[in-house]
Amino acid sequence: MIATRLLKKELQDLGRDPPAQCSAGPVGDDLFHWQATIMGPPESPFQGGVFFLTIHFPTDYPFKPPKVAFTTRIYHPNINSNGSICLDILRSQWSPALTISKVLLSICSLLTDPNPEDPLVPEIARVYKTDREKYNELAREWTRKYAM
Amino acid sequence: MENHQSEDTHIKPCEYDPNVNQDELIMAQEKQIAEEIKANTSMIGSLQGLGSLAKEYSNDPVYSSKVRTLLPKFSNVRRTRPDGNCFLRGFIFAYLEYCIHHRDELTRFKKYLEGSKEELFEMGFPKFTTEDFHDMFMEVVNDLEGSGSVGRVEAVCNDAGTSDYLVVYLRLLISAHLQKNAEFFSFFIEGGRTVEEFCKQEVEPMYRECDHLHIVALTAAIGVGVRVMYLDRGEGAAVVSHDFPEDKEPIIHLLYRPGHYDILYKA
Repeated sequence: MIATRLLKKELQDLGRDPPAQCSAGPVGDDLFHWQATIMGPPESPFQGGVFFLTIHFPTDYPFKPPKVAFTTRIYHPNINSNGSICLDILRSQWSPALTISKVLLSICSLLTDPNPEDPLVPEIARVYKTDREKYNELAREWTRKYAM
Repeated sequence: MENHQSEDTHIKPCEYDPNVNQDELIMAQEKQIAEEIKANTSMIGSLQGLGSLAKEYSNDPVYSSKVRTLLPKFSNVRRTRPDGNCFLRGFIFAYLEYCIHHRDELTRFKKYLEGSKEELFEMGFPKFTTEDFHDMFMEVVNDLEGSGSVGRVEAVCNDAGTSDYLVVYLRLLISAHLQKNAEFFSFFIEGGRTVEEFCKQEVEPMYRECDHLHIVALTAAIGVGVRVMYLDRGEGAAVVSHDFPEDKEPIIHLLYRPGHYDILYKA
């Protein structure tokens, strides 16, 4: 099965060349269910926090995108209370050439640069656009509360 | 009228619920449609007489007259699964089938494939996934070089994993060709997008339909002539055709109907 072979390769690759600020690996023996962590990027209000995510790979991976969700609460316009992430490469712009390492790095960039024009939580997007200081403050507060 | 009203009562306003991910709902529905198509059609169908096409349109005067125009020129058709990969799947099947009967072309294609990997790396495509797609493609070509038969090509193109890998690699080749010639292709891209954005949105993702630009890029990259016969609602019985690239003798013939490509066989 292609998915199994490729996921084993991904795992090797992650071990050899881990992306900065991230880690990922299977939960137990199930190669299709991973857990990942992302360290809050420096120069973002999430700095100092450790965020957990779950990754579920479909059986037809890599032709379909993995399902990635935060399990740690986070104050961000593109991530909702269920942990769903609004990111183009996890939806319509998924390419089979992408790897988990690239996905995690894209999520890190999303933490540093939210996309308020395509929000999953309109209220947070509004605060981000109209009162950046309040946004940073709330994001820092949530990080302290849930991710430290 | 009554009917209309009763229908209206079933329509509930679509309320926005921030806890429901709308993208996921759309994806779930798309998935269901895709599953239905998957269950009902092979990726590459068996060889059928062109009469099957005539029969399909027996009640449609415009299409019937056009199919009649095709009849003396083409003898058979092979249908492909309408999943957005139909052009690429049809192309690679028809090409590998041609290569089975023309070993020189298979050797030339193999040489091209061998060189393509480094080129993709240079363009910045992720190494280990790209390599995986490439290696699988080489395996298929090596296998055909040895014991190649049309039956083998049919089996390869209908094996879900292998077939999709071939499609993925063709998508990367198209993307690379477009980006390498970005200055030229940028004039043809709609919506104020860059060539790179176009590739990320319309070329590299699976199940995204191919249009002229994809075909121009693929045929130029591999150096293979394709003739597309357009079956549409245009006036008259004539069937418009287009050769990609224009100066190359076509070795692959495809039938286009709005949104879909099948493989044609010359009479």
